[in-house]
Amino acid sequence: MDKTTIICRCEEISCEEVEEVISNGGRTFDDVKRITRCGMGPCQAKICTSMVAEIIHQQTGLSPSEIPLPRMRMPLSPIKLETLGTNSTSFSAVKSVLDEVEIEEGKVR
Amino acid sequence: METNYETIVIGGGVVGSGIAYHLSERYKEGVLVLDKKYPMSGTSGSTQAWVWVHNKTPSWYAEFSMYSAELYPYLSKKIGDVEYKRTGGLSPFFNESDREKAQKLAESYRKIGIKIKVLSREEVLEKEPYMNPEVAGATYSSIDGNVNPFRLIDMYMRAAKRNGVRYSAYNKVTEIKKQDGTYLVVSDKGAFKCKNLILAGGTWSREIGDMLGVKIPVNQLRGQILVSEPLKPFLNFTISGLRQANNGEVLMGYSMEEAGFNRATTLDVIQETANMAVRYVPGLRKAKIVRAFSGIRAMPEDGFPILGKVPGHESLYVAATHSGVTLSPLIGTLITELITEGETSIPIERYSLSRFG
Repeated sequence: MDKTTIICRCEEISCEEVEEVISNGGRTFDDVKRITRCGMGPCQAKICTSMVAEIIHQQTGLSPSEIPLPRMRMPLSPIKLETLGTNSTSFSAVKSVLDEVEIEEGKVR
Repeated sequence: METNYETIVIGGGVVGSGIAYHLSERYKEGVLVLDKKYPMSGTSGSTQAWVWVHNKTPSWYAEFSMYSAELYPYLSKKIGDVEYKRTGGLSPFFNESDREKAQKLAESYRKIGIKIKVLSREEVLEKEPYMNPEVAGATYSSIDGNVNPFRLIDMYMRAAKRNGVRYSAYNKVTEIKKQDGTYLVVSDKGAFKCKNLILAGGTWSREIGDMLGVKIPVNQLRGQILVSEPLKPFLNFTISGLRQANNGEVLMGYSMEEAGFNRATTLDVIQETANMAVRYVPGLRKAKIVRAFSGIRAMPEDGFPILGKVPGHESLYVAATHSGVTLSPLIGTLITELITEGETSIPIERYSLSRFG
């Protein structure tokens, strides 16, 4: 890998950009991700994980077993929003702005 | 590494880094920021990052939020492009019966000079053509917007470091001792001395306060968010519940759960969030979701920011709040004034820790 090698193809992040985060104190894939967007694209870090781990290993000397994996999240592979929906119109954890406005004696509290 | 500092900030998130940056603008004495992990690994990196005024109640809290939103254009001139966009904020409602509540909200804001309009169905659809045509109306405020939280904190850190601030990441504070008018902060990587100590621990404020015998009543509130694939630009406003980022992704979510520090995403809330998004913007139905994430928000017991001097402790300051993204430019400015001048340009007595008795 040289400085211009593309590590994350989805977001076009180069080796140099990943190295900068590590030199500023980052240690994990997720630190690199939040600063550079490496791994935030459609493939969700399926390709760049091991290359980023290799750079972290080279720069910090941490052994591969000490470098945490990126946090994988649902849905793992992109799926349509309608597949997740249930057509229900009642909500419990999800709120709206007006839900949070409380009226007391005819006035906003 | 230098072990003596004028000021140490515990916590490098949006609040701590905002304070460190604003301090560094006019203060040449040493500043150190300690973070238990890397900044953004907690709340500040898991947010939709609305810069939001318009449902903050009571109106004095909205006014405080407005002052901070007003600082954003100037802040991005100073620290660089943080993708701040004053899009205007739109909060739709679907039942005509909510209009009266919306008008009461608008009325209470008018008194403090914040304009909120209550829009008709036609006005909503004219502003946001992809909104569900079944919408009844919306509240609208032009001061609301959003920012890229990663760019924001990265830029705060870069600017602060250029001005001489030191950061120490992966360095958890384990003990704080007070001795001879100074604080000794013991961390994983050694002990540091300082005159001024600022507690900006966000969701972890309670446990940091405990190290000094100070009760900082901050609880945790989980929010879950869905991220779409990049879509063509089609949403004009920050809608309370979803927004489109510069790269085309749509972020969706407005959930609140008490789950402690558990950052799991759960299918029930993901489904509710999908239902909300489709209800607001039916065109999203076919959009692909690439990720769900959750963030743990800091929520002071009464919902309002905890800011300023810690009563009974010389040179000890606290900044712990919900809505840290919205408030960080103002909190950074005010805490800097408090430390350098001993008083603030906007009164913050209301936000003192002393209110909890």
